[in-house]
Amino acid sequence: MIEPLKTVPISFKVNGRPVSLEVGAGETALHAIRERLQLTGAKEGCGIGECGACTILVNAKAVNACLMLAAQMDGTSIRTVEGLAGGGSIHPLQKAFLDHHAVQCGFCTPGLLMSAAALLKEHPCPDRRTIADGLSGNLCRCTGYRQIFQAVEAVAQGEKEKTQ
Amino acid sequence: MTEKVGAIGSSIPRRGALDRLTGASMFSADFRLENPLALRAVRSPHSHARVLRIDTEEASRMPGVARIFTARDIPGKNLTGIINKDRPLLVEDKVRFVGDPVALVAAETEEAAERAAGAVNVLYEVLPAVYDPADALANEAPLIHEKGNLLFRRRVVRGDAASAFSSCAVVVEETYRTSFLEHCYLEPDAGAGWVDADGTLVIIASTQNPHYDHSEVAALLGVEDGRIRIIQAATGGGFGSKLDLNMQGFIGLALYHLQRPVRCVYSREETFIATSKRHALIMEMKTGAGKDGRLHAMKCRILCDTGAYGSYGIAVASRAAVHAGGPYEIEHVDTEVLCVYTNNPVAGAMRGFGTPQVAFAHESQMDLLAEKLGMDPFEIRRRNALRVGSVTATGQKLEASVGIGECLDAIKESYEKARSARSDRGDSPFTCRGVGIGAMWYGIGNTGMQNPSTAQVEIDLDGAVTLYTGCADIGQGSTTVLAQIAAGTLGLAPDEIRMIVADTKLTTNAGATSASRQTYISGNAVRDAAAKLVDVLLTEAVDLMKVPKNSLAVEGGFVVYKGDTDRRIAFSKLAARARRKGIPLRWQGYFDPVTSPLNPDTGHGEPYATYAYACHLAEVTVDITTGEVTVDRVVAAHDVGRAIHPEGVVGQICGGVAMGVGFALMEEFKPGVTASFKDYHIPTANDMPEVVPLIVESSEPTGPFGAKGVGEPALIPTAPAVLNALSDALGKRIYHLPANLERVLEAANKRG
Amino acid sequence: MRSDVRYVRPSSLGEAVGFLSDHGPETKPLAGGTDLLISIRSGELKARYVMDVNRIPELKGIAMTGEGLSIGAGTTIAEIASSETVKRLAPVLRKSCLSFGSPQVRNAATIGGNIANASPSADTFPPLIVHETIAVLSGPDGERRIPVEEAAAGPYKSNVGSRELIVRFILKPSEGRFFEFLKIGRRKTLAIARVSMAVLAEKDMRGAVGFIRFCLGSSTPVPCRIVEVEDFLTGKILNEAVVAEGGRLAAEKMIEISGRRSTTVYKEPAVKGLFNRLLYPMVKND
Repeated sequence: MIEPLKTVPISFKVNGRPVSLEVGAGETALHAIRERLQLTGAKEGCGIGECGACTILVNAKAVNACLMLAAQMDGTSIRTVEGLAGGGSIHPLQKAFLDHHAVQCGFCTPGLLMSAAALLKEHPCPDRRTIADGLSGNLCRCTGYRQIFQAVEAVAQGEKEKTQ
Repeated sequence: MTEKVGAIGSSIPRRGALDRLTGASMFSADFRLENPLALRAVRSPHSHARVLRIDTEEASRMPGVARIFTARDIPGKNLTGIINKDRPLLVEDKVRFVGDPVALVAAETEEAAERAAGAVNVLYEVLPAVYDPADALANEAPLIHEKGNLLFRRRVVRGDAASAFSSCAVVVEETYRTSFLEHCYLEPDAGAGWVDADGTLVIIASTQNPHYDHSEVAALLGVEDGRIRIIQAATGGGFGSKLDLNMQGFIGLALYHLQRPVRCVYSREETFIATSKRHALIMEMKTGAGKDGRLHAMKCRILCDTGAYGSYGIAVASRAAVHAGGPYEIEHVDTEVLCVYTNNPVAGAMRGFGTPQVAFAHESQMDLLAEKLGMDPFEIRRRNALRVGSVTATGQKLEASVGIGECLDAIKESYEKARSARSDRGDSPFTCRGVGIGAMWYGIGNTGMQNPSTAQVEIDLDGAVTLYTGCADIGQGSTTVLAQIAAGTLGLAPDEIRMIVADTKLTTNAGATSASRQTYISGNAVRDAAAKLVDVLLTEAVDLMKVPKNSLAVEGGFVVYKGDTDRRIAFSKLAARARRKGIPLRWQGYFDPVTSPLNPDTGHGEPYATYAYACHLAEVTVDITTGEVTVDRVVAAHDVGRAIHPEGVVGQICGGVAMGVGFALMEEFKPGVTASFKDYHIPTANDMPEVVPLIVESSEPTGPFGAKGVGEPALIPTAPAVLNALSDALGKRIYHLPANLERVLEAANKRG
Repeated sequence: MRSDVRYVRPSSLGEAVGFLSDHGPETKPLAGGTDLLISIRSGELKARYVMDVNRIPELKGIAMTGEGLSIGAGTTIAEIASSETVKRLAPVLRKSCLSFGSPQVRNAATIGGNIANASPSADTFPPLIVHETIAVLSGPDGERRIPVEEAAAGPYKSNVGSRELIVRFILKPSEGRFFEFLKIGRRKTLAIARVSMAVLAEKDMRGAVGFIRFCLGSSTPVPCRIVEVEDFLTGKILNEAVVAEGGRLAAEKMIEISGRRSTTVYKEPAVKGLFNRLLYPMVKND
């Protein structure tokens, strides 16, 4: 694509589903996901990559959708909180967040879930420090993070028991 | 009345949490509207200037622009404010801070609105501005409001402080300063709206007080109450800032004139410029004690910078004055708080209303006194702690539920362990460790004024119960707690209570989600409504079962005979029976805490019906070569009366600790400098100490099932505890928050 | 969101350089986007074209080569942090990458972008400097090699030409040496470094400093290696007094370069302090 474009045709997968869009050259991935695909789970909390409320998985890696151009999604596989559970009804992290009261206002929650999912993929049995570090790109003003840590620990523990 | 086991004191799943977890929750920016207009305010670049002309002509002709509004377009009364009405929705004659809105653009897209906002030509005559509250009180200071720059003065006087100091064994006198803070709820302010077929202006908003929004918008537009409907959207935190009218008035104005769906979503940058801040306080405090450590006298002078408009300034000043002495008995008190307008950003409500600031001062004073007396910081607090029967500075006798002593006792063991371990745990020559305590008290509800809540409970003919409450759940969990209270009263499981929440068309006024008041005040209103319904059901059952009312109870959707629980009648049957007689099946409950207004000269009165108490223990590690601080551990004991939802209380405590760490170490809003999350830091997951929450339950007889509140108390003791721990580590005290890198390193380098 | 920029995505270095040779001055390369997207949002981006360089194979990869340790400019910070090769041959770079931004930022940001952005507080700058790194640039006239410290002309002013791209970095590998990267921030994550430092050092047979490379970040307009400190310490047996003197020299040099500013009140003692902590393990091991 060496032709400069004002609107860019892109094709990619969202939550396993192929989609094709025309996006603006300067449009962010977050804008395209929220406004064009109407997946409003990812939130804009700051628009400059400081809060993590817009965290999505791009090719299984957590990134801030506000710091990514929509055009960059071309050819990638995107996962948002709406597709976190995959085919299932609820992802173990969602269940654990519910059980451990890790949700207060809930605005940061989708982003935190995506970061936590990426963290557990890389570190299936993280200690508290690794969890804190893995979630350190997601600001939460309500919870003080403790119940979120506990939820992530519970999922890790559950996975460990399953494999034993 | 019977209490359903499991409803009260049980950490049931939070209402609405599942939707938050799947992304299904609708926050204000998430609503899909048909072809909505985007709203964008044109804001002043000057902190004080006369508006000579607003030229919207060129901007109006830009593509996509629907209309540009100025103050002239406001059909009703262009003055807002919950306590004192001094703030125009769009300024008429002059701007008073950087960010004051002068015009409002409605356009087809966000981009068009932004471009047009930039093209509105405002001619200003810049006026001299004042940024320091002391300067603002000087005779020659520029007048920000016509009535003068002093918004409010609150005195609280007890005994004779001036002469009591002479008999004190030790006296400490210091000046403490705090900075403006930004709330940093994760959801930037947002709202949306449309016009219903019947002409009702429907406004969806991220708000803490839908019924206030309702009356304010109706007054701005000069329309009857019934033409407005405010619905609280899922709200991403508030912490006090979403008590002000932020975008609601803009939406109302656009709906009124354009009759088209609109959306108004602030960027984070706009929330920094436009919304309220925590008041910056300057506190001169003089405290004296006897040889035994008993406090005798306190004198306190506070200057409270409320910025350009009043917002909650008067409430902050009053509360700061009442709470200035801390949770201690002090016989002689002389406090004066001045709340002053400046050309700084508007300072309003923020979690604690001035109490977090004064707690930093009074807790520092306690440690300074202890040091002078050679007394342990724990001991001096324990000796002076309020107890049942104590009389406060406002002359109020505390009748029950005074749990500060129990809170102190709860952290005692941790405190002693931490003190003895702190010296031998240094693993680097560059760090030292410290231990500190912070304590607080906090009056639940508004200060010495009416503060009612209402709620309605309805049973249908199937026996299903619906609770209608105007109480805005902004993440603190009130919807869940109120369901528990209704369930506990009705003998049902909480998930059996259907709820209609925070919609001004469908629910009655529950007042603001502020002042840690919803569990206590709205909880009591819910309990009152539910109890009235229970009484109807019991009355019907008496008639059927021919047993006295006091032998009956409600349980699992039945009225049961306590002597033989097999004898029971279903709610549905009783409801149907009552209906046939014309007895209402929907009951309204009401609660207004018993308070009395504060005397304007002495501050005497009963400002609150009950108080929450707390103390935190903080352990810190300080790098004395760089000023970096790590808060290692916080043990947080809170007297909440009764924990209706213990994990909810824990969540409040941990969130409060996080905000307290920010207040103590890193947060500062610098007017004109701070613009975004790049330059305003709140704690990340890596900045969190280990938190040990301890729930103390000193039951409040007037509370629903004994409950008080915890939202603001959770925050208040952390910063004082951290600052006292820093002082313990460094041997040098910091008097100015935040204790940032620069201040800590300076203190470290000054230590002996 | 700006609607007037145009997006272009070359799939080879040749295509990219070709585009830049025609449109370089109007073009801004997009790597991780963690700085560029912020300037798009604020309206500060003046470019007509945004050139997405993320699909250029020549910019990728980490490998030990005959020239040294080669790291593609388009390698993400997370990839560097998790590379075994980097862990072995440039652990000080790895350490700076582990504390870079946030996990999300590390997954997107690239080392080339970090250097090209030329922030005085760029985290990867000091480690690259102590590794005596060469930046390999590609432009219309072919390849150009510059020492990495010359990649920045001043705060946010790059020496990389508008028609050039950074292709890769070549580091002098450093195995088994003492290394450290430290930074001071206002909080523990997502904080711009107030002061940062990187060091590589080795003791000689008698326990004196035989080799040392020291770089100061976030304190001068461009992160800079301070040879005065290196020269002072070389040949000396490290003890607390010697290290303290080294820290004093570092602070002195900072003031010489940056002048006294309002921030110097903090930075002068902080540089001294952090320097002590930086080299303390070398003192302690004696």
